[in-house]
Amino acid sequence: MRDQGENMLITVHIRAFARFRESFGDRFDVEVESPATVRSVMLEVGKRNGQGVRDLIDDGGNVKKSVIIMVNRERVTGEARDEHPVHGGDEVALYPPVAGG
Amino acid sequence: MIRVTRDEFDASALLEEARSGEEGAVVSFLGIVRNDGIDRMEVEAFEEVAEQELSRIREEAIAKFGVTRVDIIHRVGSLSVGDRIVLIVVGASHRKAAFLGCEYIIDRIKESVPIWKKEYTAGGSRWVPGEHE
Repeated sequence: MRDQGENMLITVHIRAFARFRESFGDRFDVEVESPATVRSVMLEVGKRNGQGVRDLIDDGGNVKKSVIIMVNRERVTGEARDEHPVHGGDEVALYPPVAGG
Repeated sequence: MIRVTRDEFDASALLEEARSGEEGAVVSFLGIVRNDGIDRMEVEAFEEVAEQELSRIREEAIAKFGVTRVDIIHRVGSLSVGDRIVLIVVGASHRKAAFLGCEYIIDRIKESVPIWKKEYTAGGSRWVPGEHE
């Protein structure tokens, strides 16, 4: 936590799969300023790796559509996806398009 | 039965189990590691979510087609050419519902269940691209 008057830092639990697991690790925590969003969490995840931000964020500063996001095991989709709120203790999962079966 | 497992499964036994007499038709789909010049394949899943999503797909198939029995088993871990990846067994009163239900389930798995495959060849490795998104 920072000095009073500044934004609080919250801890978010990350799960990453497939090529994102290889880039960032499978399970780890990140600290982000509250109020946090899918976008601010993905920016923080991206910083773990030299190429990371470019893997997750497009030139316009938005989370790439090819990055699938779950917050507390529910898919987050739609136009407002990047602004979806993330709270302290939430689990945020990121993964590429699925290829099972 | 819905299961994501590291263990090999007995497809014939599962198919035989479905022959209870309750359903007049049983359709199965078996997905197999194809020989595309690969040495092996690693299958990875977000296991808790994958099982939850497979259960949701089973409920969808029951609601849409009136099928009465659905078993889905998906392997994870290291697989070789010829190994079973996925088995779907669908039972219904009549064949049409069983065929439609089975095709629906494999299509939905490829669309939304968090599972990925990485192929290993003599020259290196590559992630199998998803068909959607």
